[in-house]
Amino acid sequence: MKKGMTEDWLAVYIGLLIFALSLAGFFGGDLLGWAVTTSVWTSVSKALAPASKAYAALGGVASLLATYVFLLALLTLGAKALRLEPLRFAKGFTFVFFAGYLSWIAGSWAYIAATADKRAALGIGWSLNLTNEAGFIVALLAGLFVGNFVPYASSRIKEAIRPELYVKTGIVILGGMLGITAAEQTALATSMMFHGLCAIVAAYLIYWAVVYYVARQYFGFSREWAAPLASGISICGVSAAIATGSAIKARPVVPVMVSSLVVIFAVVELLLLPFVAQAFLYREPLVAGAWMGLAVKTDGAAVTSGAIAEALIRAKAAANGSLYQPGWILGASTTVKVFIDVFIGVWAFVLAWIWSAKIEPKPGEKVRAFEIWERFPKFVLGYLATFVLILAVAVAAPVLIPKAKSAMGQANVFRGIFFVMTFFTIGVVSDFRRLWEEGIGKLAVVYVLCLFGFIIWVGLAISWIFFHGVRPPLIQG
Amino acid sequence: MPEPKLAEELKKMQREPLLPIEKKLITRSILLGLFLVAVLAWTSQVLFRN
Repeated sequence: MKKGMTEDWLAVYIGLLIFALSLAGFFGGDLLGWAVTTSVWTSVSKALAPASKAYAALGGVASLLATYVFLLALLTLGAKALRLEPLRFAKGFTFVFFAGYLSWIAGSWAYIAATADKRAALGIGWSLNLTNEAGFIVALLAGLFVGNFVPYASSRIKEAIRPELYVKTGIVILGGMLGITAAEQTALATSMMFHGLCAIVAAYLIYWAVVYYVARQYFGFSREWAAPLASGISICGVSAAIATGSAIKARPVVPVMVSSLVVIFAVVELLLLPFVAQAFLYREPLVAGAWMGLAVKTDGAAVTSGAIAEALIRAKAAANGSLYQPGWILGASTTVKVFIDVFIGVWAFVLAWIWSAKIEPKPGEKVRAFEIWERFPKFVLGYLATFVLILAVAVAAPVLIPKAKSAMGQANVFRGIFFVMTFFTIGVVSDFRRLWEEGIGKLAVVYVLCLFGFIIWVGLAISWIFFHGVRPPLIQG
Repeated sequence: MPEPKLAEELKKMQREPLLPIEKKLITRSILLGLFLVAVLAWTSQVLFRN
């Protein structure tokens, strides 16, 4: 059977298409203004509205349906390119879209989402102060419920349970938003990039070596298990475990089993760490953002935990009188994660060379440098393209910054939708029943010990060294 | 083909002592990592804090 497109490339194409449509804003056009946005609400009839005032007549429900139809058409075409069965995908996607979006609406209820400074305007006396990113957490919990308690439903929608596709598409779109954010504070943005370099060093040279040593020396894991396990815990979860497994020629079952554990613990981190960051790091927002990127595994969980940390910390800082500009905390998490991802191919190449030349040499076997490109996460190219293009335009012609902001604001509506679908689908794939599977204990103990005993603390220390005392710009006026 | 069970897979695993090359990989990685973190932290201090 002919091989289909990879999810990585599909994420690039979909992300770039939405980004390109948003660029109509530079020329006075408004091609995405009909897309649905969700506000914090006290009356559900006011929860939804089109992104642009030009489409106000459409109303909230019609704009939700228009957004659904647009994404359904786009992603079903994408599913065809992935060689999936389009009708099954379309059915599954319909469930994912509406379950995700209803969760977002629920999480935007004023008593859950309203920040302290908005309560009076909304006419409420109290709220949980979680911002409408609380919808992401509701989506995750809904996904966990479906994945763990309604296995029949999750098997019916499995074609559309693609957290990696959704988050990578969201990251490609996010590049433009971060580009315009960076253009206004180039020194801070450069410093953030620099921290990305340090994240590579920490993840590949320190985390990996320590986890590999602990797994081999203290838990007696063989090399075939220890290497994918070290990559899964240290680098970026599933894709790193799979790349390492294939680099050292492990049996496919090894990275698959490691990956199932990675996803479960990523959810635990996603539910815990943003709240810990809000409690203890709200005065150091960029430390918190970088920490999410360094400590939370898998692209989806890391970037989305950055989004939640940003919402929680901005809400708490606002209550204390500091209105931080949006985008910086999420930007720190995303930059760190993207930098780490970029290096996966190189690391897999290094391991493949060490294994084939020194550990398990086989006559005539050679490692091809082309494998670095084969394993390169292609969605990073999409992210870089949107980031660099908008940054270059904004730096070259500052007069265009307001138009760029408005255009990226429209694209960002879709980033939010892709993120909420990421949360829901991460929940669905996190099968906590695996924790009760016979034999998982030893694997889980190494994971918990290394992740919670070492990685999150080293990640925090490194983020602290590079970002303490550096704060996002404040909103003026 | 039946799905492999984790417990069985782990039971099949044999103890393999750390080879000198693995020890070298681990120690050199950590030392290089610590050195680079120190260099990057210093560079960051010079470039972005002053």
